[in-house]
Order: sequence, then structure tokens, then C-alpha cells
Amino acid sequence: MNLTEVRAAIEVERVHLAFEAGAAVLSDVSLSVDEGEFVALIGPSGCGKTTLLNLCAGLLTAPARGTIRVAGVAPREGNPQVAYMLARDSLLPWLDALANAAFGMRVRGATKVESERRAHALLAEVGLAGYERHYPKALSHGMRQRTALARTFAIGAPLLLMDEPFGALDAQTRLQLQDLLLRLCEQRGQAVLFVTHDLAEAVALSDRVLVMSSRPGRIMADVAIDLPRPRSIRLLHKDARFHALYASLWSHLEAGWAS
Amino acid sequence: MKSDSDANALPAFDFRSRAARRAARPGGLRLDALLPHAIFVAALLGAWELAAARGWFDPIFFGRPSGVARYLWEHVPTARFWIDLGWTMAAALISFVLGSALAFGVGLAFVAWPALERFAEPYFSALNAMPRIALAPLFILWFGLGPGSKIAVGFSVVFFVVVSSTVAGIRGVNDDHLTLCRTLGARPATVFFRVTLPGAVPVIFSGLRLALVYALLVVIAAEIIASDRGIGQKLAYLGATFNVNGVIALVLVLAALGVAIVRVMTWLERRLLHWQ
Repeated sequence: MNLTEVRAAIEVERVHLAFEAGAAVLSDVSLSVDEGEFVALIGPSGCGKTTLLNLCAGLLTAPARGTIRVAGVAPREGNPQVAYMLARDSLLPWLDALANAAFGMRVRGATKVESERRAHALLAEVGLAGYERHYPKALSHGMRQRTALARTFAIGAPLLLMDEPFGALDAQTRLQLQDLLLRLCEQRGQAVLFVTHDLAEAVALSDRVLVMSSRPGRIMADVAIDLPRPRSIRLLHKDARFHALYASLWSHLEAGWAS
Repeated sequence: MKSDSDANALPAFDFRSRAARRAARPGGLRLDALLPHAIFVAALLGAWELAAARGWFDPIFFGRPSGVARYLWEHVPTARFWIDLGWTMAAALISFVLGSALAFGVGLAFVAWPALERFAEPYFSALNAMPRIALAPLFILWFGLGPGSKIAVGFSVVFFVVVSSTVAGIRGVNDDHLTLCRTLGARPATVFFRVTLPGAVPVIFSGLRLALVYALLVVIAAEIIASDRGIGQKLAYLGATFNVNGVIALVLVLAALGVAIVRVMTWLERRLLHWQ
């Protein structure tokens, strides 16, 4: 690997954050996500992992202490290098699947023809060919989140920020969508910062997993996931190395509770 | 996961034919569903006619179906009837359009500047709690016996209903949609026209539907109080001259009008909100 070519997609350095002069939410957090790297952020609920993600997305005002660089610049809303995905699909119910998948591109100024052409291709890629004219109401939860994935990937941003995108799905659908996300990421190779509370999901998808402590959130462990790619969710669950990494993350989390 | 329906088959997962869906819809016209109603209404009218003919109750006070039918037969084809109906409808529609348009603007201003809403709130509450028809005598003095006073009364009802539904509709917009727009860097105009407004339409529309029915109601009430034209004025005249058949006939006309308004609004809602 040529180290000089790897640049950081996200750099967070010594960030402290407290809301309204209350207790600290984030305490001395530093992390980096390299270009093309998939990094998961896990930790107990309320540990500040979503806050950290929202700081990177520019949804929260910058912290008083520490610096954050996203794609080389300070975080800001609407950075064209960044796509953001939420736990709920946030599809617009008055648009059909095609228009929803095209929505991100349209808002960012792509023409109708061009964005619909790409949305069409992405919908096919996420397994929704033939559902272009269906409204969200007529789609299942899994299909809606597939549409949201199509919208996120259609933007073509080199950095994805994902806040528990599969957190609201049932277990089986979640596994299917993890497989889909693996495939989409392995083909495109953009950087991902992925917040989740699901350890198995973190191990299966990531190159690295960062473990946060309970509030005030600190990064307690940085675990490299040395599972070969391309991966398959189904096969991973039978893999001894997968279970060893899972157990190791568990022990890091438990250490966080004890402290 | 493969496509099992063609792109035009909406709503999805409803595999019944268009006709079957229409028939299953409540309120759809079907002969076998209509028959019991026809029998019931015929029996009711027959009993009423019989009671009036036998003198069981006084047709001077309670009217009789044949008298109502004769009134409708004699008056519905006349120009005078349609002119009265036209005045009433025009006053209701004009007050609806003016009231809704201004209310929409004020509702947007309230959302944009919450301080303005907080300032206006006590006055709005007081005005909205007042029975608006009590203002009719005042409006009649100010705007005369013509349509001006009817429009003013209608406006005073429509305005408040539509302001509150506009504010509620826009405030109720899904936060996730707004977050998505922020992360995409959408311009405020884009957010408003592509997300906020379409998201608010269902609530605003239910306000509009209510406002139109109220507008017709208070315009007729104002016409009953004092007017030179209109169905309400006609009703007051017929009542005062003991023409009970005429009163009942006009009440039936108004009922038909109310149903027609609701039907039109429902049709419009289906067109606008087919995605719901």
C-alpha cells in the first residue's frame, strides 16, 4: 500500500463537547477515517456517537475545543463530498421510489433526466427494479430503506455518514441490507463512518471498529477488522475469526461499563 | 424480489379491478345497496303523506311530501331560484377564496416569525371563540344587505380555520425530511416548495374542506338574518309566511348542495393526495 496516497476523509482531533454548560458529551475524542475506509462507531446508547456523526455532518455547531476536518474542510451542511443516511428512511411519501432515489441529486442541482437515469440504475442495483413507480406507502420497511440507500449512493459522494441505517429493521431484513451495503461499498470504495449499536453489524461491515465509552464519550478501543473482502454476511456468521472479533469488541464494551 | 405489477397499477398490492374497488368503496353507487334505501325513503314519505292526508298531523306546520315536490317542481326551473342559489354560492365561494388566501399568507408569517404568532395569539383566541354569526348584524350595517356583508361573515369563519390548519400543517412537517434537506444543503426555497408545502397539504386541505362547509353555513345564516337575495333570505320569507313545504324543499336543496361540496372536495383530495 502506498501510504502517501491515502488521505483522511475525516479527521477529528481532541474534540470536547458539552451542551449548555452541562456535563460533557464528548471528552477528548480523536479519530480518523481514511479515504475508502469503512469505520464503525459503537458504544452504549447515549455515549455521543450520533452527536459525533452529526458534528461531522455539520448539523451541530462546531465544538469549542478540538478540530474536525471532513474531506479536508470544516464540517458544513450540504458538503458535496458527503452523503448522510438516517435510521428512518425519510422518504418523501408524495414521491414515488424513482423520484425519491433521485431527490438527493435533484436538490444538489442535477438535471431531472440525468438524476432519474442514475436513480433508475441504483434502484435496480438495490433490488428494486420494477418498483420505480411505487409510492413509499406501498413498499415494505426493507424496500423503503433500500430506496433510501439508492438515494444516498446515487449522490456519488466519496464519504458516507450513516446513523444506524438498519436500526429500525427486523433481524432478517437487516442481514439482507447489510449484504447489500457490503456489495455497494466494495464496488465503489468510498469512505464510511457508520454508527451502530449492533456489534455483529460493525464487525461484518467494517475495516475498523471504534468503541466508545458511556457518557462522556471517549474512544476506548480501535479494533482492526482483518476479515478478507469481498465478504458475505451469511458466510461471516460461520467464521471463527468473526466470532473472535465480536467477543473482543464485547470485552472492550464491558470495560467501558465497568469504568 | 421481482416486479409483479405494471408501473401504472396503483395503489400497489390491490389486485382487484377498478370496478370492484369502486364497488367496495363506501358511498359507491350500487343498485343492490340502493334498493333498501329506496324502500325505506318511499315508506317514510308514504307514511308522512298519509298522515297529512288523514289529518293525523297538521300539514300547515309539518308540510307534506307532495307539497314539497310541487314546490320544487314549480320553483327549481325558474330563473329566480337559480339567481338566489347563485348569490348564496357566490358569497360562500368568494369568502372561501379570499379568506383562505389571506389565511395561508398569515399562517406562513406565523411559522416564519413565531414572535408574531405569540403576539397575535390572545386576539386570535378571543375572535375565534366568538360566535361569528353574532357579528352579522354589524357586518350588515357596515356592508349593506347585499353580498358584501355575507362575504364578510364567511371570511371571518374561513380565515381562522385556515390559519390554524396552515400553521399546524407546516409545523407538523417530518423532522427527518428537514434533516435530510439540511445534509443535502438544500436552499430554503427548495425545502419549502419540495418538502414543507407538500408535507403540509393533507392538514391544510382538511382545514379547507371544513372552511368551505362553514362558509356556506354562515352565509345562509347571515341571509336569514337580513338580505336582499339568496337561499337564506328565501327561507326566512317562506318560514314567516307559513310556507312549510317551501322551507322543507329549500332545506333539501341545501342538503344536496352540502353533499355536492363534500364530494367535490373529496374528489380533489384524492387527486392531490393519491400518495396517502
